[in-house]
Amino acid sequence: MTTQELTAHEKQEMRTAETTRPGRTYIPDVDIYETPDSLWLWADMPGVDENSLDVRIADSVLSIEGRVALQEYSDSTPVYTEYHVGNYARRFSLSGEIASERIKARMTNGVLELELPKAEHAKPRRIAVSAA
Amino acid sequence: MALFRFPSSFDPTNALVSLQRELDRVFENPLGFDFGLSGKGVYPPVNVFSNKGGYFVKMEVPGLALDQLTIEAHGRTLTIRGKRDVSAPQGGSFHRRERSRGEFSRSVQLPTDLDLARAEASYKQGMLTVHIPKREEAKPRQITIKAA
Repeated sequence: MTTQELTAHEKQEMRTAETTRPGRTYIPDVDIYETPDSLWLWADMPGVDENSLDVRIADSVLSIEGRVALQEYSDSTPVYTEYHVGNYARRFSLSGEIASERIKARMTNGVLELELPKAEHAKPRRIAVSAA
Repeated sequence: MALFRFPSSFDPTNALVSLQRELDRVFENPLGFDFGLSGKGVYPPVNVFSNKGGYFVKMEVPGLALDQLTIEAHGRTLTIRGKRDVSAPQGGSFHRRERSRGEFSRSVQLPTDLDLARAEASYKQGMLTVHIPKREEAKPRQITIKAA
């Protein structure tokens, strides 16, 4: 693998939907990958544990939300800052049908991994062409 | 200098708002000390906090295994190196690829009143925190007033 220069981009604030709680919400970086059987999604959500996470699908919209833990900031004051701290939220509209009862979600070291299996009838099928 | 302190009954909503406010203030106006950091835009981003006992250097580096992280102290320089792999199952293709991957290294110059020999690091939920305590003689102490 070639080494690439790692650049940090500033977190983008989520502005499309207003939240009921005050405080800014940011958009997590995601990778989305598709195999013939499933759609995979990984989202970087540092500071979020598995209990503060909300993943749901409704009307073909996948939404992920995570709240950051703040206890460890108690009694301290920032002296130098390069990144913002806030909750995370992002929504995707899904083009294919997902077998929602078989979705697997896992949170490891601040990364959410979602496996969204495609519904049987939505999987691509190869149609055999017979010679005349 | 304001201290970020939670009320006795912890309220995460207000805590987030006041933390964001404090961070914004320091974003625009970094406090006097020069940490020797090359600035914004280098991965991974670093935040530095202080409290009575010392400093906390925090980085957002999600998805690492512990053996992919090296932390070194040399003089008053703290260097954090790591490698981030992003793997995917075989036989598919990416639609989006936004997450950073590759090797990184960042160094922080710390004030001399900190004791790097007693630094401790923890990694949880993708956040690396290095706590560097103040030297004993640098800790605030109360001065008693003698009656005349």
